[in-house]
Amino acid sequence: MRRKGYRYLISIVVLFVGVHLVQVQIDYRKKIENLESNLLLMPGQIAGSLVLGGFKGLAADLLWLNMEEYWHKGQHYKILPLLEAIAWLQPSYILVWTVGGWHMAYNIYAEVKTPEEKQYWYQQGIEFLKKGLAYPFNANKYDIYFELGWTYYHKGKDYPNAVKYLEKAVKYPHPEYVDDVLAHAYEKNGQIDKAIKQWEFVRDNYVSFFDIATRMIHDLKTKGKATP
Amino acid sequence: MKKMWTIAVNTFRESMRKKTLYIILIFALIVIGASKLFSFLTAEEELKMIKDVSFSAIEFFGALIAIFASITAISTEIERRTIYTLLTKPIRRSDFVLGKFFGVSLIIFVNFILTTLFFIGLLLFKKSIPDIEVFKTLLLIFFELILIGGITLALGTFTTDAFNIICSFFLYIVGHLTSYGKEMIERTENIVVAGLADMLYTLVPNYENFNIRDKIVVGISVSWGYVGYTILYGILYTCIVLLIALYFFQKREI
Repeated sequence: MRRKGYRYLISIVVLFVGVHLVQVQIDYRKKIENLESNLLLMPGQIAGSLVLGGFKGLAADLLWLNMEEYWHKGQHYKILPLLEAIAWLQPSYILVWTVGGWHMAYNIYAEVKTPEEKQYWYQQGIEFLKKGLAYPFNANKYDIYFELGWTYYHKGKDYPNAVKYLEKAVKYPHPEYVDDVLAHAYEKNGQIDKAIKQWEFVRDNYVSFFDIATRMIHDLKTKGKATP
Repeated sequence: MKKMWTIAVNTFRESMRKKTLYIILIFALIVIGASKLFSFLTAEEELKMIKDVSFSAIEFFGALIAIFASITAISTEIERRTIYTLLTKPIRRSDFVLGKFFGVSLIIFVNFILTTLFFIGLLLFKKSIPDIEVFKTLLLIFFELILIGGITLALGTFTTDAFNIICSFFLYIVGHLTSYGKEMIERTENIVVAGLADMLYTLVPNYENFNIRDKIVVGISVSWGYVGYTILYGILYTCIVLLIALYFFQKREI
């Protein structure tokens, strides 16, 4: 019996060595595939206890539902800490970054009165979007680049930055309208040749944009201006 | 092998007679079904929530079933004294323990299949065809449940039911926190503490390895390499707990 006991013990130790080696491989893969979890000690009791059980996604969903409620009640400021919390719990949930950036740069922007406050919230929106881009899995999708490009273009009238981010957005799989906005941004940035080329690309590739692209090319070539 | 299989089938049949497991299963199905209530959200948000809630329900209620089925698997035989009749027959103790493990695994498998089918049905109802990433997540959840069942069964060979429940739930929580522990180890400068913590990191089951659902629901792919290593981890760890179970059951005076 004692000999058998030793045999069990040796087998267990050998298997634990195997487990350790496999765990090293798993940790390595977690690192290169961005599967690591953040060290979490937040936010609030419900989320905290869910995190304990490994249910971070569910905690983020509950906070998202909470956010929806505040949204419908028009309590825009209360949404802000929830956005931060959701982004912390599930940074790869791209929607939280795009919605958050838009919420600050558009909704809260519209709510505040002074130009300084408006500028502040516009910048906050931009910063929030850039924070989202710091996560490698978000940086490989068009979403945040587009949102940044659009916010710079539409809200900030900052066309060089709009072009910079929209050019990045079109490098990844994206919907048709991203190319359309990039063409407008080129024009507003004074890059007429690039704008014409971009419209030609849109005309040749997207049937639904054919008419508008043809008109834009014509206007740019004849008047040097197409976007109102 | 035949004896082991007979014990496994009997364990499965016996567990199917227990109402507790059906109640847990019904709860799981209700929770998964309730995720359909998020229809006021946009399609993308709703789908994410359906997946989040369903994966969590499959795992959490699956863990409950694994724990409750494993706890009683051996202790009931001892309490009812049916084990005496069994062990007087030409059945080795290892056949008995392994038979019990496979019986519990069968219960976990049936429950897993039922909840998974319900979840996939829900996705199809929402006109979303589950992709390979969904199946990777489910596969890892299944191996996690098997490991949970194995650990509880092993604890059952040398502890009381009450202690086993506490221990299994404690390990379930701690096992999901070990990844954060790793982060702390990397920050520790004391070599002795770091060494001990590293050893503990290997000894405690790392359930968080199996948790890829948070990434999958937001569209991040996980490689087959990662899935393969995690399954290997699950198999190796299950072998360890089965050896522990065999060791203690061999030593136990019955």
